Amino acid sequence: MIRIDREAWSAMLTHAGLAYPNECCGAMLGHIDSGVKSVQRAVAFDNAYAGPQQTRYEIRPEDLLEADRLARRDGLDLIGIYHSHPDCAAYFSETDLKNSCPWYSFVVMSIRGGKFDHATSWLPNPERTAAEEEQVRYPEEASWQGS
Amino acid sequence: MARILIPTPLRQYAGNKNVVDLNGSTVGELLGALTSEYDELRRHLYTGEGKLRSFVNIYVNDEDIRHLEKEATRVSERDTVSIVPSIAGGRDECTG
Repeated sequence: MIRIDREAWSAMLTHAGLAYPNECCGAMLGHIDSGVKSVQRAVAFDNAYAGPQQTRYEIRPEDLLEADRLARRDGLDLIGIYHSHPDCAAYFSETDLKNSCPWYSFVVMSIRGGKFDHATSWLPNPERTAAEEEQVRYPEEASWQGS
Repeated sequence: MARILIPTPLRQYAGNKNVVDLNGSTVGELLGALTSEYDELRRHLYTGEGKLRSFVNIYVNDEDIRHLEKEATRVSERDTVSIVPSIAGGRDECTG
């Protein structure tokens, strides 16, 4: 299970809202304790995809490297990646799967008409041929700080 | 010894260490020493044919080894080697 704290969730929602109608992406930092992942901080990345960002995202490895350094500096762990699906369900698409990394949790946020709809989390298998849905908990009443 | 930073999800295969110091004069030697010491790490980093998995990037300090001499990139005692995955995705043609 992955549990996202209020502050991190609010930052993720804000990022998704500001990026809409494009996809956003970022890293989730926190701790893993007895198999339960706790996200305490979200690190927003620029979407580096060179084409239409309404349907695609790409993370620069340098940004991920920097997020890992930040986590180590602050005694946290890099435990997952988040991104948004504008005007689409929070499923794990074929593109998500083929371009994922099996080491991390992948939280997908559905943003419809600019507003948060629902979220899911996924664990790709080592071959990246399938992903298992992971239970995700987030504060229902949180909202983003954007316009 | 050069320093290898282990990503969080792989630490369970590396004796729960977040940093491993190993001897080696190239990135290839260091990764070989790492996967010899922690055999379970091998399948997470390498394909069955012994090539680094396509989504695995290796950095020496701030440089991607693809822009240096790949696994023949030389490392010194002051260097830090990081394992950084490539990640992308997207909703495709929306189905719901």
